[in-house]
Amino acid sequence: MNLTELLDKTASNWPKKVALIEGDAVISYAELVEKVNILALQLRAFHLSSGCRVGLCLPNSISYVTLTFALWRINAVVVPIPTECTEEEFSNITVTMRLEAIIGQKPRGQSTLLSADCFYTKLISATPTDNHGINIAFIRFTSGTTSARKGVVLSHETIRDRVTASNISLRIVPDDTVMWCLPMSHHFLVTIVLYLSAGATIVLARHVLARPFLEAVNEWQGTVLYAAPFHFALLARDNSEIKIPSVRLAVATTCSLPQDVAENFHQRFGLRLTPALGVIELGLVCVNDDPAARADSVGRPQPDYAVRIRNPDRDGFGEVVFSGPGFFDAYDNPWTPREQLMPDGWFATGDIGRVNAQGYLFLAGRKVAVINLAGRKVFPEEIESVLNRHPAVRESRVYGVAHPHLGETVEAEIVLNQPDAGLDSVRAFCREHLASYKIPTRFTIVNALPRTPVTGKIRRAAAVA
Amino acid sequence: MIEAQEIETKLLDFLKREVFAAEVVVTPETDLVASGFDSMSLVRLLLFIETDYGFWIPESEITGDALQNVRALANTIARLLNAR
Repeated sequence: MNLTELLDKTASNWPKKVALIEGDAVISYAELVEKVNILALQLRAFHLSSGCRVGLCLPNSISYVTLTFALWRINAVVVPIPTECTEEEFSNITVTMRLEAIIGQKPRGQSTLLSADCFYTKLISATPTDNHGINIAFIRFTSGTTSARKGVVLSHETIRDRVTASNISLRIVPDDTVMWCLPMSHHFLVTIVLYLSAGATIVLARHVLARPFLEAVNEWQGTVLYAAPFHFALLARDNSEIKIPSVRLAVATTCSLPQDVAENFHQRFGLRLTPALGVIELGLVCVNDDPAARADSVGRPQPDYAVRIRNPDRDGFGEVVFSGPGFFDAYDNPWTPREQLMPDGWFATGDIGRVNAQGYLFLAGRKVAVINLAGRKVFPEEIESVLNRHPAVRESRVYGVAHPHLGETVEAEIVLNQPDAGLDSVRAFCREHLASYKIPTRFTIVNALPRTPVTGKIRRAAAVA
Repeated sequence: MIEAQEIETKLLDFLKREVFAAEVVVTPETDLVASGFDSMSLVRLLLFIETDYGFWIPESEITGDALQNVRALANTIARLLNAR
């Protein structure tokens, strides 16, 4: 199957229904499919090989959506590249994911103008890819350490299955209008694809400041909000009198929902936030849609999924594992099929948690070192590898520090080679090589880093409270 | 008493150095949102203010007016700081 069939079906059922709104541009499902078809024709003219990988580096826009579906229409694999990437990160994705072409806002060498706001660039140096017989639609690149850079591979069938499973709780219908504010380069499948396959209208919010966002919700009679706790914190503290009575569902995802944000939002708007747990390998596995349940739980697994706690301690905390439909097909670089990674059918997310007697999952930290800054994942090893390349830095350790408003922030300890070296050049070096949000907020200069007694490795710090 | 002018200089320096791409021209009057200032930029900015000035700007102060440009933002921070 091909995911464009989901869009075609919606367009055939509700051709005149509004699919997407971006500023003054309002396009129906019939117009959306037509745009996709024209773009697919344009892309065919480039003679891309079937199953080739194409990097998509665009901000939120109708073009982002049409290009994704047009690439699927010609059986290309979409690899999102966040627009905030530095040139170095961009090039890492290009090489590691073996991209055959890139579509983005910037012309790069021999580029062709594809539409008013984007360029197509064929990459000559791309090595041929083997998709191992899988009908791949999408690969999400994750950074981590240099050796852990990999792609999460999702086929058309996998995405269809997870979209179907996720909508059992979300119940998105054609009458819904979704107010969109998250970056499409990080969120697209059980969100944008789901909304379009359900026939809903998506409004691309211009920015996330509370007042204009709330005004847009009322202008378009938005019924669904899907955002990070940080966005809901801004909305909850808006001091206007604006209410949003049209909203029926406000899903808080990407990181754990602070209790005060849940309470403030409920007080301000009379609407309970719905915490949810999404994992790129799995989909949207948990949704806490029971208003009577505690808001600090991500909820029970959606009906098609199951959760278990592996090796629980005396208090019931252990490794969180899931089973269910639409799980990832493989990791790429190196290619590792799902069956090899989860032979018993259960996938460990890397979270530590417990399940209470009612079946609600409570998360309590992570087994692997990853920092969650306002919903954006930051891998300490990636930042350390940049810091350690700076001539004045002998070694470094990057860790998360608990933050009341953002979940965690990124901080670093560094040992300097030259005692009088300034931090300004270290910061500038970080900016040159890392997306802005990955730069440590605070640097502490230390004489030595703590090491584990046996291996002598730098001791990885748990999040500091 | 902290002068808004001093804060403005620091904010401009930070935004140019750590948030905006090198090719983006940022002046005290530049419209931040129109220049690509998104929610992760806001997170970075709020953290910078917290680290350098020792307080978290209350969410109720993060309005379109306060974030219109660097000058408006510096005035907001100066007002909040001097009221402490």
